[in-house]
Amino acid sequence: MSRYDVNGRLYAAEPQPGECLRSFLRSLDVFGVKKGCDAGDCGACTVHIDGKPFHSCLVPAFRGDGCKITTIEGLAETGEWHPMQKAFHDAQAFQCGFCAAGMIMTAVTFTDAQRADLPHALKGNLCRCTGYRSINDALHGTCNIEPDVAGNALGASLANPFTSEILTGRARYTMDIAVANLLHLKVLRSPHAHARITGIDRSQALSIPGVVAVYTWEDVPKRLFSSALHEDHLVDPDDMMLLDDVVRFVGQRVAAVVAETEAAAEAGCRALEVEYEILPAVFDPVVAMQPGAPQLHAKDHLSNSGNIFCTLAGEIGDVAQGFAEAFAIHEQTYSTTRAQHVHLETHGSIAWKGADNRWHVRTSSQAPFAAQKKLAYVMGIPARDLHVFTERVGGGFGGKQEMVSEDLVLFATIKLNRPVSWEWTREEEFIAATTRHQMTTKVKIGARKDGTITAMDVEVVSNTGAYGGHGSETLGAAMASPIAAYRCKNKKGIGHAVYTNMTPAGGFRGYGASQTTFAIEQAIDELAVLLGIDPFAMRRRNVVMPGDNIESIWQEPSDASFGSHGIDECLDIVERELAKGNGIVKPEGADWLEGQGVALAMLECGPPTEHRSGAEMRLLPNGTYHLACGSTEMGNGITTAHKQIAAHILGTRIEDIDIINADTDRTPYDTGTFASTGTVVGGKAVHLAAEAMMADILAFASRHTGVALDQCRLDNDAVFCGNRRLSLSELHAAGTAVDHRFSVNRRAYLSPRTIAFNVQGVRLAVQRVTGEIRVLHSVHAADIGKPINPMQCRGQLDGAVAMGYGWALIENMVHDDAGRMVNPQLRNCRIPSFADTPHTDVFFANTIDAIGPLGAKSQGECGINPVAPAVANAIANATGLRFAHLPFTPDRLFARLAAHS
Amino acid sequence: MNRFDYIRPATVSEAVAAASVPGSAYLAAGTNLIDLMKGGVVRPERLVDVSHLPGLDGIEHFPDGGLRIGALVRNADLAHDADFAARFPAVAEALLSGASPQLRNAATVGGNLLQRTRCAYFYDVASACNKRTPGAGCDARGGQTRLQAVLGWSEACIATHPSDFCVPLVALDAIVEIEGRSGRRDVPLESFYRLPGDTPERESVLEAGELILAVRLPGTAAAFAGHARYLKVRDRTSYAFAIVSAAAALQIESGRILQARLALGGVALKPWRTRAAEDSMAGEITGPDTFRRAADIALADAQPSGDNAFKIELARRIVVRALSQAAVGTPKRMPALPASPFAAVSGAITYV
Ligand SMILES: Cc1cc2nc3c(=O)[nH]c(=O)nc-3n(C[C@H](O)[C@H](O)[C@H](O)COP(=O)(O)OP(=O)(O)OC[C@H]3O[C@@H](n4cnc5c(N)ncnc54)[C@H](O)[C@@H]3O)c2cc1C
Ligand code: SF4
Ligand code: FES
Ligand code: FES
Repeated sequence: MSRYDVNGRLYAAEPQPGECLRSFLRSLDVFGVKKGCDAGDCGACTVHIDGKPFHSCLVPAFRGDGCKITTIEGLAETGEWHPMQKAFHDAQAFQCGFCAAGMIMTAVTFTDAQRADLPHALKGNLCRCTGYRSINDALHGTCNIEPDVAGNALGASLANPFTSEILTGRARYTMDIAVANLLHLKVLRSPHAHARITGIDRSQALSIPGVVAVYTWEDVPKRLFSSALHEDHLVDPDDMMLLDDVVRFVGQRVAAVVAETEAAAEAGCRALEVEYEILPAVFDPVVAMQPGAPQLHAKDHLSNSGNIFCTLAGEIGDVAQGFAEAFAIHEQTYSTTRAQHVHLETHGSIAWKGADNRWHVRTSSQAPFAAQKKLAYVMGIPARDLHVFTERVGGGFGGKQEMVSEDLVLFATIKLNRPVSWEWTREEEFIAATTRHQMTTKVKIGARKDGTITAMDVEVVSNTGAYGGHGSETLGAAMASPIAAYRCKNKKGIGHAVYTNMTPAGGFRGYGASQTTFAIEQAIDELAVLLGIDPFAMRRRNVVMPGDNIESIWQEPSDASFGSHGIDECLDIVERELAKGNGIVKPEGADWLEGQGVALAMLECGPPTEHRSGAEMRLLPNGTYHLACGSTEMGNGITTAHKQIAAHILGTRIEDIDIINADTDRTPYDTGTFASTGTVVGGKAVHLAAEAMMADILAFASRHTGVALDQCRLDNDAVFCGNRRLSLSELHAAGTAVDHRFSVNRRAYLSPRTIAFNVQGVRLAVQRVTGEIRVLHSVHAADIGKPINPMQCRGQLDGAVAMGYGWALIENMVHDDAGRMVNPQLRNCRIPSFADTPHTDVFFANTIDAIGPLGAKSQGECGINPVAPAVANAIANATGLRFAHLPFTPDRLFARLAAHS
Repeated sequence: MNRFDYIRPATVSEAVAAASVPGSAYLAAGTNLIDLMKGGVVRPERLVDVSHLPGLDGIEHFPDGGLRIGALVRNADLAHDADFAARFPAVAEALLSGASPQLRNAATVGGNLLQRTRCAYFYDVASACNKRTPGAGCDARGGQTRLQAVLGWSEACIATHPSDFCVPLVALDAIVEIEGRSGRRDVPLESFYRLPGDTPERESVLEAGELILAVRLPGTAAAFAGHARYLKVRDRTSYAFAIVSAAAALQIESGRILQARLALGGVALKPWRTRAAEDSMAGEITGPDTFRRAADIALADAQPSGDNAFKIELARRIVVRALSQAAVGTPKRMPALPASPFAAVSGAITYV
């Protein structure tokens, strides 16, 4: 028996043959060691072996024998935090926190030289949330937080309430629990883009020791549904099944194997013998729209629309007339790539039957309530028998607005009456989770000599992949705010969301609007160049203002309206900052071409479809509060913001409010945390609940003391009734005596929807010899109303902008002509690391919104939208060439750049 | 991962004997091998763990300026050895441009030499790959070829060798010390790898059971220390394998090149040394004309293996730039972001 010293504790244990140290440590319940990739790319699994950092996923477990292994749990051995943990605390150098343990374990080993060269020293650690700015702050000892003072919660940069758990490895993410008697599920995925399954031989698989069950399309309920999660399930097409006898993309589930270990389940998948009848496949949405193209779904008998899942079209004014009035016209086709969310925590769920005879699903979801409804429907069980909840979620970005892991574990657990777990691999995320919709946008836009836009005509083709979830909603978003952002009498558009045999697309931060913003913001620049007008002036002249109709290509009345307006201020800020410069000069030599660009983006806060949130508050016997909200915390900072909203209303500290969230048993209903609704809808519910809480306390205090209500007021942890001070715990005791419960529940709904803006400015250098790009100055201004927590708001923007740079410059999912992704690893399909992420100066317009709660607007998503077009505009400015297709990787640029002479 | 026997020999000869049994593989740090085994790409029946073998983890310096690097020396330890970095700066720069600190702490010199190609089809067990399964065919042909070879490839395999480390090593005449059942032998790194031909599964001259003991750099190679650079173009500034890379080393006297060394990475199934290009520079003055001519010669035989003609032109440009950087002189301090084209020609770089 080998002996392992983990954090000073001795374990006598034998790893499985071939087991890596990461999974071995987790089998010892050392859950601070995370899995982001299992392949040496992300650093989430970093531990120390004899004091040096290693990726534990690539270290054979037996190598740890006789060594001293330290994980995040062992860093604060004496109970005293390590200074690096303290630094991460003070800088709040995390959002979802999934990367934090690995980051800290790496950073604590840094020498001064390494600390001075973080881009290089942090090569082995990825963070998808922060854009690395706050991590850089931590490593330079910056403190970003303010003290939690009663009455000062609104607008204060308060620390995330779960900081200690996250930084000491005690936070429990979805897979971080030990469940007795647990079974593991794995799926076999289709190697073909389009095929009918004609036979599955499970005998070999079932004979593998440890394999408990194999499920195929023959075993599952024949109910069609969509994995996309929305309030109204009718916005997404019911076009998929748990397991189907037709596979429509490479990576689709073919069969599920449940076994005693993950390894046995994997071996079972390999042992399945599947016969396929290969069907013709189509990958290009334009081809897929042609008559005679292979059909993906045979369900649409009525309209016979072929592969076109959804068409949106409209016209306001007279576009032909508008172009006739134009002095200059620009016309060009732009296109954007698919992208993966790469939330560092992969999808995963664990399901079991509880002592209460109900089914419990612990999951990594942005919308547990919507998932609960959908699961109940698909399994044919009453929703009340189903409990769906999250604990900590390691990032979402839209990828978890999708029910892709809950269904099979629940199905298997119902069948087998044992707990079942399923954790996705990084490769599965790339080939089988949803992506951003690939869209091709043709823009025609005309303006008068003075720059006034006279006509806009936009054609969009969106590749929704094999299934249509989010297809129509993203198309709607694509055809809305990016066009509505400009005042113009004559607008026209048509868009198609088209089925193809590609990985299904889904919701992704920016949700369709990112794609058309990329096109339209470049077209605006091109038009400005044609007219000889400065790009800032061009935008100021045309951007929509209060009093204008806020309309895209439809004239129906909309509930979007200006609760505040800060776009002009944002443009001013970015123009000023770029002009002022940041002192960073382009690398020397004629090989480097320098240019700058700007782009703006408008966002309607909240989806045009329904969205509801609830919040519940209780006064507790000790005089503190309990807050329960349905929305999900996945690094978006929503629990901090919700606590701050409640603390502000109640004049208390956030520490005196405990919070639970996203749990169908223990919190009120919430549609889901997506579409930038956490603050404006969830926050509104909290705002209402806190006001109701205060009213309830004061009303009872007045009754209890006989002092008139208008003489009673709340003061942090007490009420004053006239001159009499009653602590809240005394008041609670008095209430209990007469069965007064001090509990309130409020619901919120969003209408009207207010409007936010973001402006991105970029100065960059393009290397003519190699096509590489170096960002020299990055400025972002956001009109997000009153920031409830400025530090967190800045963090969301840092993260969104970094993702924008990744999309523009680096990320590249490559598929071959059989529809197979050829680079489904983080090593080959890269996301930005520290060195790739430019520092961005973030500014807020000084606006207070009249619609959003406490003057706030949404901001979790929209920061990404103007980044890629600003980069494109800067490249055009530097090189004189328009690159209209993402991504701007070196090989794609350099071919067009003149050879150096 | 498949089941396998695990053997931990105490001496080199025990290791060689154990690994001579068919189906065996040496395990060093495992950063490449374990990853391949997890994916089912390779399935050795027995792992012979060499990580504890004595005497293979030192760096020996010779009086003539040459040195001998044990096969188990960690990539990080080598790169940060001040003496080594001073004498062979381009090698240190190449090492630091690869992988991440956590990986370099683990990865060994021997493992780096023998790391397998990063060809995506080799990694994907559902694809046909002659290297993985001889005779199965090659799905990379006609597939995604952005990162595939433009030199020395064959119909059977168009993959590239991924190592950064080996590129300056081959330019500087490194020798590989090998121990096998029939004793010890030295093989110049330049002839250590095989081109794919019809047998892409055979990657090096190693026979079954042969173990790399060390890599030697001759004292003459240290004479290039003043003018040696490694330059790597990658999709992401940090942490990515090279699309194309170049190691350039010069000896210069009053503006004239006495001797030049040049090797390319990311273009072939081995680190590609180009002696004709080196010879063309001898006696010439440093400058764009000389360098461009050398680049043309270096790539004269290049052929796209698919949709990757861009790599040929990119490689030419990288050669010119690496030589220009080398001519200016090795920077005093290792540049932040080693081997990055973000550096100015002089090597000065301030990262923000
Ligand atoms: C995410 C990631 C990124 C990377 N990026 C880069 C990069 O940018 N540039 C770069 O150059 N490298 C890169 N690498 C590769 C890394 O450098 C290699 O994985 C490492 O050098 C292999 O060393 P090892 O000791 O772990 O070898 P192992 O994985 O143990 O072995 C690799 C192979 O060598 C054989 N072997 C090992 N030692 C010997 C010996 N002494 N004699 C005979 N055979 C032996 C093994 O049998 C095996 O076939 C990266 C690796 C990863 C995982
Ligand atoms: S190029 Fe070589 S390694 Fe890649 S699939 Fe073809 S044979 Fe295999
Ligand atoms: S899980 Fe080990 S590096 Fe990603
Ligand atoms: S906080 Fe770094 S990945 Fe989420």
